[in-house]
Amino acid sequence: MPGADKETDLSERIESFLSELKRCGSGAGSLRGSAETARETTALLRRITAQARWGNAGELMEIIRKEGRRMTAAQPSETTVGNMIRRVLKIIREEYARSRGSSEETDQQESLHKLLTSGGSSEDNFRQHFTHLKANVIEAINELLTELEGTTDNISMQALEHIHSNEVIMTIGRSRTVEAFLKDAARKRKFHVIVAECAPFCQGHEMATSLCKEDIETTVIPDAAIFAVMSRVNKVIIGTQTVLANGGLRAVNGTHTLALAAKHHSTPLIVCAPMFKLSPQVPDTPYNHTKLKSVDTILYIHILSKVNAHCPVFDYVPPELITLFISNIGGNAPSYIYRLMSELYHPEDHEL
Amino acid sequence: MAGKAGKQSRPRKAEKDEEEQPLQAVLVADSFNRRFFPISKDQPRALLPLANVSMIDYTLEFLTSTGVQETFVFCCWMSSKIKEHLQKSKWCRPTSPNVVHVITSDLYRSLGDVLRDVDAKALVRSDFLLVYGDVVSNIDVSQALQEHKQRRKMEKNVSVMTMIFKESPPGHKTRCEDDDIIVAMDGKSKRILHYQRAQALKKLHFPMNIFHSGSDEFEIRFDLLDCHISICSPQVAELFTDNFDYQTKNDFVRGLLVNEEILGNQIHMHVTKDGYGARVSNLLMYDTVSSDTIRRWIYPITPEANFADQEGQSCTHSRHNVYREPGVSLGHGSQMEENVLIGRNTVIGANCTISNTVIGANCVIGDNVTLDRAYIWNRVHIANDVKVKQSVICDNVEVKHGVVLNEQCVLAYNVVVGPDITLQEGTVLSMHHPDEEDDEDEDEFLSDDDVGYSKDKTKQKGSCSSYLIMCIDDDIMFPGLALNPDPESDSESEVSEGSHDLGSHPASPELDDVKVFQNEVHGTLQRGLDENISCDNLVLEINSLKYAYNISLKEVMQILIRVVLEFPFQQQGAQISTAQYSSHLLPVSLLKKWAPVFKNYVKRPQDQMDCLASMEEVFLERETHWAALVKVLMSVYQLEILEEEGIMRWFKQSSTTGKSQQLRRNQGLLKFIQWLEEAEESSEGDE
Repeated sequence: MPGADKETDLSERIESFLSELKRCGSGAGSLRGSAETARETTALLRRITAQARWGNAGELMEIIRKEGRRMTAAQPSETTVGNMIRRVLKIIREEYARSRGSSEETDQQESLHKLLTSGGSSEDNFRQHFTHLKANVIEAINELLTELEGTTDNISMQALEHIHSNEVIMTIGRSRTVEAFLKDAARKRKFHVIVAECAPFCQGHEMATSLCKEDIETTVIPDAAIFAVMSRVNKVIIGTQTVLANGGLRAVNGTHTLALAAKHHSTPLIVCAPMFKLSPQVPDTPYNHTKLKSVDTILYIHILSKVNAHCPVFDYVPPELITLFISNIGGNAPSYIYRLMSELYHPEDHEL
Repeated sequence: MAGKAGKQSRPRKAEKDEEEQPLQAVLVADSFNRRFFPISKDQPRALLPLANVSMIDYTLEFLTSTGVQETFVFCCWMSSKIKEHLQKSKWCRPTSPNVVHVITSDLYRSLGDVLRDVDAKALVRSDFLLVYGDVVSNIDVSQALQEHKQRRKMEKNVSVMTMIFKESPPGHKTRCEDDDIIVAMDGKSKRILHYQRAQALKKLHFPMNIFHSGSDEFEIRFDLLDCHISICSPQVAELFTDNFDYQTKNDFVRGLLVNEEILGNQIHMHVTKDGYGARVSNLLMYDTVSSDTIRRWIYPITPEANFADQEGQSCTHSRHNVYREPGVSLGHGSQMEENVLIGRNTVIGANCTISNTVIGANCVIGDNVTLDRAYIWNRVHIANDVKVKQSVICDNVEVKHGVVLNEQCVLAYNVVVGPDITLQEGTVLSMHHPDEEDDEDEDEFLSDDDVGYSKDKTKQKGSCSSYLIMCIDDDIMFPGLALNPDPESDSESEVSEGSHDLGSHPASPELDDVKVFQNEVHGTLQRGLDENISCDNLVLEINSLKYAYNISLKEVMQILIRVVLEFPFQQQGAQISTAQYSSHLLPVSLLKKWAPVFKNYVKRPQDQMDCLASMEEVFLERETHWAALVKVLMSVYQLEILEEEGIMRWFKQSSTTGKSQQLRRNQGLLKFIQWLEEAEESSEGDE
């Protein structure tokens, strides 16, 4: 039975994706960038759309939600997965609405009046069957994938607007987006980059090596020297793991220190973050945003069992410390993030 | 493009399949020892919970994450339980990337049996990983695997095994005295030259030949921890079949190293600096590994990862490494200080202090309870005002009001303790009557409850296995449960005698081998004498003994000399006079008869020196018979077993101890040497 084969193939793929997520995750020290995770998630969702059995949009959304819950549970710190699931859900809603003939605009505008009159959940409306829905949804997901492919380029294209000649730029750790951003600017301008090494994983070293190869003047400093060096810096450009709904960041450990130092010296702090990093999560207790890795890297030998070793990976950076976000669709202030959020995701999908 | 990505990944996979067969693993889910007795009597060790997840799940997770696609799980003791567990687990789901086959048999008595079965059933097709069901690790073995494959490619079938070690200096927490090893290796090729368990050994012997291996880099290392993960080629299983006396991996490694020049097989090693690898081989290790898991040393295998994918096991992780599964209720004023894991639906009363503790599912814990380094399994009831320090409490135990458990106590399944009783350090309570070996204990009833217990003082040495075995004689409470030792339990015990008793006997198994070998040689010679067997046959017999007991050539000679020289003592008793001794040994009868045997073993000048050294050793022990030494030397010289240069060299050797100098000043000996010198001069003169 080819149908059954397809199903097992699909569930195998999902399982392997899940176990991969569980094992490596992403963020600091991982080999995969979140861009890759985003692409993989979307490709997997496209496969689910194509291969799973569903009759109407409601069923498809239910399937995707179910798998999505498992994927996000597999690696809660990897928000990109959840974001992509929300994007796809939004696509399904839009395509359904278009097939039904109603315009997107009216569907999107959640006016108070509409909320009052519509009564029950809008889910009931997704039960209608459309033959072209599958093809349309897959087409839209393909568009999303194309968008994901181009995010880094789109961001680095804006580099020349922000980096000027003979500026001193500080960054921390290694972000693929920032790396591309700086390299793009270096093609036209000369400037100096200071990289905070970001112990204990020291991704900063990799970053510095990579920048050097492009003939960018680079200095590596230990994390402890961030404040001391900040007075010389014109601009801080960093990447992030997630942009939270309030405009804050969950970024590699040490970023909060950097942001505070920048604030103290009134140095502008620019965050390069593609749109897929935008998450509807809000910060609750700061601790819940950290992922604790093995402490092996910080303590090479077990000392006494009395000593507790912790190795958090992420920092929460509050929005008031951030000057500007540069995403693939342009620059935005932290206060504007909520607006982007409502454009990207449907409010009903915030909780999967 | 997504399409591109999909296409890219597929050919990569296909390439992999062409190039190499899927990686296989052999998981031995039986420890073949009873260090976890009496807990292991009710539940096989592989299923004991470690941070609320069965140990075997850790091992399977490790195997799966290293890319193993097919695992054979061998179980013996309580195999049905393991099978049931695995069938329910995620490993047996159709989507699992690692196909798990369970193979059970009651006949497995050791690792050797398992591997012989692997060979008999022809299960493995290529290189495989060999692990025990209680290994907890996150080491990435892919590099070691690649090195192993490369070595196999370069020299066909020479390297049969790569053992994985973790660098951990002495004093490291995960090091356990039981597993201390000394490894001599070739620094460049990473070949193992010598492998020895160092536990309780004051003196270490290294065979000389390992220094002649022709390598300019040579390392002797004590800072390694055997992770009990080895990459084996299919030949390993064959070798176990060929050598039916190999029981453990230790036997195998030592056997291969000793017979290296004959069989031409080599063992290599891979030392890793990062990653975590340990075997939960006893309760102290259980303590260590549990606390390491909670302190996240084994990342990404952490409690909140829920890697075993069990329903309702997912827990939240918060500050100070406090993990809570769903449905935990914590009373007013109770504190979870740090490194605490609490299983689902567990209820904790008021004003408790909990630190460094794992509590299983569905437990009920009363008020004012203090738990420190306690490992509490499922469905345990603990009443008010109980104090527990560094102890293990198994399933369904009831601890009544006011009980205090001191360090290293174990309450095995279904035990009821209390109220108001203090258990001494190292108490083990079980519903099973301890087996014969613990029978000497004097039963003393400490409390007037139904629960009495007996105590075995002999084992209270500070070693790792010092968890005492005690019992409850509560046939009153649970008639028919206790007092008849289960015959099945032997499967866990068997073979392992050796390893189990290590704590009490400082002697290493090697020494025992030598002793047994000596007795065998003596028997052989005796038989040879009685039945007039030819010397060739004697040599054959001794050679076969040599292989059976893994004795080196040098040792064979030393033992042979010792046996022959002590022969008269054995026959006539130790009190015989010198004259009797020499008359018994010397006359043509003995030495001459066995001359061909000696000649077979004493060939090179070095052999002569060794031979003389061991003669000297024998005589040093028996001062009264020094006079006989000369006569022995004389006849050995005449029989052309030893040459005069050898004797002269030995004589001139600067001796270390006063006693051997004394021996050299012996009148008879001096005369003999003088005679030898003269004889030499005259023979030179003749020429």
